[in-house]
Amino acid sequence: MNLTQQLVNGLVLGHAYALIAIGWTVLLGVARLVNFGHGQMYMLGAFVTWYSVSRLGLPYVVAVPVAMLAGVAIGYVMQRVMLQLTLRQDLVSIMIVTLGFGYVLHGAAGLVFGSTGQILETPLSVIDIYWGDLWFTWQDVAIIIVAILFFALLKFVIERTGIGRTARMVAEDPALALLAGIDVKKVYLGVFAFEGAAVALAAAMVAPRTPILTSMGFDEVIVTFVVVVLGGIGSITGSYLAGLALGLFTAFFGALVSPAYTTAAAFAVLIAVLVLRPGGFAAAPGSR
Amino acid sequence: MQPALRLGLIIGSAVLGLFLPFLLGGTPAIYSAAVLIAIFAVMAYGLDTIVSDLGEVSLAHTVFFAIGAYATALLSTGLGIGPLATLAGTIVAALLAAGVLGLVTLRLREFVFSLVTYAVAVVAITVAANWSFLGGSDGLRGIPAFELFGYEAQGDARLWPVAYALLLVTLYLMRSFRRSRLGLAAIMVHLNPRLATMSGIDPQKTRLQVFLFSAPITASAGWLYAYQRAYVSADLLETYFLILMLTAVVLIGRRVLLGPLIGVAIVQIQEKFFSFGGYVDKIILGSVLILVLAYLPGGLVGLFQALREAGRRVRERDEPVIPAHTQTECTRKAGP
Amino acid sequence: MSTILEARDLVVGYGGNRALALPHLSVGRGELVGVVGANGAGKSTLVNSLLGWSRGRPRITGRVSLGGEDVSRLPSFERVRKGLLLIPEGKLVFGTMSVEDNLLAVGTGALGQGRRAYTVDEIYDLFPRLKERRGHLGGQLSGGERQMLGIARALRLGPSALLLDEPSIGLAPRLVSTVLATVKQLAASGLAVLLVEQNVRAAIEVVDRLVLLERGSIVTEGPAAAMRDDPRIAEAYLGAHAA
Repeated sequence: MNLTQQLVNGLVLGHAYALIAIGWTVLLGVARLVNFGHGQMYMLGAFVTWYSVSRLGLPYVVAVPVAMLAGVAIGYVMQRVMLQLTLRQDLVSIMIVTLGFGYVLHGAAGLVFGSTGQILETPLSVIDIYWGDLWFTWQDVAIIIVAILFFALLKFVIERTGIGRTARMVAEDPALALLAGIDVKKVYLGVFAFEGAAVALAAAMVAPRTPILTSMGFDEVIVTFVVVVLGGIGSITGSYLAGLALGLFTAFFGALVSPAYTTAAAFAVLIAVLVLRPGGFAAAPGSR
Repeated sequence: MQPALRLGLIIGSAVLGLFLPFLLGGTPAIYSAAVLIAIFAVMAYGLDTIVSDLGEVSLAHTVFFAIGAYATALLSTGLGIGPLATLAGTIVAALLAAGVLGLVTLRLREFVFSLVTYAVAVVAITVAANWSFLGGSDGLRGIPAFELFGYEAQGDARLWPVAYALLLVTLYLMRSFRRSRLGLAAIMVHLNPRLATMSGIDPQKTRLQVFLFSAPITASAGWLYAYQRAYVSADLLETYFLILMLTAVVLIGRRVLLGPLIGVAIVQIQEKFFSFGGYVDKIILGSVLILVLAYLPGGLVGLFQALREAGRRVRERDEPVIPAHTQTECTRKAGP
Repeated sequence: MSTILEARDLVVGYGGNRALALPHLSVGRGELVGVVGANGAGKSTLVNSLLGWSRGRPRITGRVSLGGEDVSRLPSFERVRKGLLLIPEGKLVFGTMSVEDNLLAVGTGALGQGRRAYTVDEIYDLFPRLKERRGHLGGQLSGGERQMLGIARALRLGPSALLLDEPSIGLAPRLVSTVLATVKQLAASGLAVLLVEQNVRAAIEVVDRLVLLERGSIVTEGPAAAMRDDPRIAEAYLGAHAA
């Protein structure tokens, strides 16, 4: 096993994971919401990109924003439907509704795109780079660059701008934000639209690495979940670092032990963390 | 209603239920649908206690279902033991799994609990599809027919009374649970965890206990499903079963005893007799789940009650209004 | 004196129960009106329903107007943007944000009709204590400082009418008089202020008019001086009320 190759793989994978999880970081950190349709939205982002590139003949650079737009639309519609639940902070129903949406997306994608696997080829993924012993593609480089840019931009917006401040207000106390004249509904819709765009972007960037199927998406949810939990709720830097850590772990575990069980292993690590140091995930005494 | 009369009615309906598939035509398709409805309903009842009573979401119940099926397959093909023994094995396996999962998540908040159960289900798919002990992607075949005390249940028509019996037992268990102290504790934790704690109830222990109660129920559905299908594979862990369970639990209304049964029946009948193809059915099922939760939180029963309430208010509008005594203020402003 | 805030036939019901039934209530420019009553009398329901905001899901009917404009159909945050502000009981500040961020954290809207939004610097002039603590997190402030910050945030929004829900709760007596003096100042500067208070003794010192609520209805109301001598007030509250 080539150590540096795995290191490179791990770094690329890590940035990919961080990028996939970014929508959830904001969703959970700002709106205290979850989206169990996340994996299917990822799948749809991948397929819209693939369809645009291989069936519609659009250039990759155009297909990415198209996928993001689709993501925005889906995210917006989802939140619009469950808006009352969000305002009531009925987390149980929100979880199930997003699960239902994921299922609907799965069915719709199967109907439109069929059940055969596809390869998403982009101008970047077909160009290999050989650097000494190492091999990667321009797509991998793009993933890293886009991820870093996106994280930096997000951090700036959340911490330094008015929009970010509004988001933080709503995250802490929607009722109080309302009394400060904030249109809380719009914030929730915006956050979900952002999640849609972010996960679609991640899909457009990362999906070229493996064949895509309309039945995929579950591993992405686990990955996202692990990243967000390890990184700490709502911590942008934390998510980035957790993504990297998970990427490196996956690369080495896959090479040393078994590629098929990497998700299971990551999950085991997560459980260990949650059991030993629940931190913000523990129920407050006297509640659930 | 007098207790004797009530008991008579219940027994009468139970007997009628047994002959229902026969009365509806008795074709193999009908018996098959009936058996599946019974099995899936039992599966859904396990989840019902968690969602309707405890008020949390466990996404791991597909795993218990699969554990039941796999345990049955392994025990019956590997050790050659009969259905009662495999049922016992199923229950033990389910309790073990639920125990581990429950203890691990004991101190976690409710939504983290749900996330973890979801992750468990996803990981279980990987394990089931890759582990050769569980048959890998081919699954386990050759499960013998269900045979108990000489009664051989070959085919759905003969399996039906067994499925029906399982269903009745489950209904009885649900009813007992809701009247038990644990059932009451679950509701209290659901409605007001702090108040429950101050009444001496441990919310976390309650969650664990309800979890331990619910898992074997769902697993027993898996047990019978293994016999019905005669083979098990990783497809038992598909999201379909989860969505089916959830829809069945919320469609009719929370904490309605026959709710999950009717819900499962509606969905299965649509799929078996009014299908539009696999993908469209998925869209339909998912949409029903979304619409019920987003717009009909009380399910169909809730809708019926709301309509009745609206009708009552329309009638009351013409009556003289008497200023009512004020109750304690219901508004709470201290945070969401 | 022009009327800024007016409510007509305001009724709040939960299921079959009426929490509040108010035929008429008005507050004029520069006027400080106090609303007192026992727990459960409907005081909080009143201020919440003026904003169209509530916990639980009550049915609210009636007409609320601000500066002559009917706002009954507007969602809460829009009433806030039009100048109807509520400083709630309990959670007043964003605990995880700094004082400065709390002051910056207001939704902007067009100001009209002679409304004046204080700038952050003007706030610091008015409340030097907040300037001292500008970098501290909201959660690190004392009770009195939070009350100050709550009021300051409201001023940042340029209110024309201000509703305060039990500002004196949890404060030491000395702070109570400071807070209420500030409230009096705000009224004097031209705002219409509705003050809900349980501390009748303190309230009656500063308000122009007093309204007594009982079980969701107005039992009596009138100028503060007259209410001081009203036996109902004296007997129920001032007599049994320990300083």
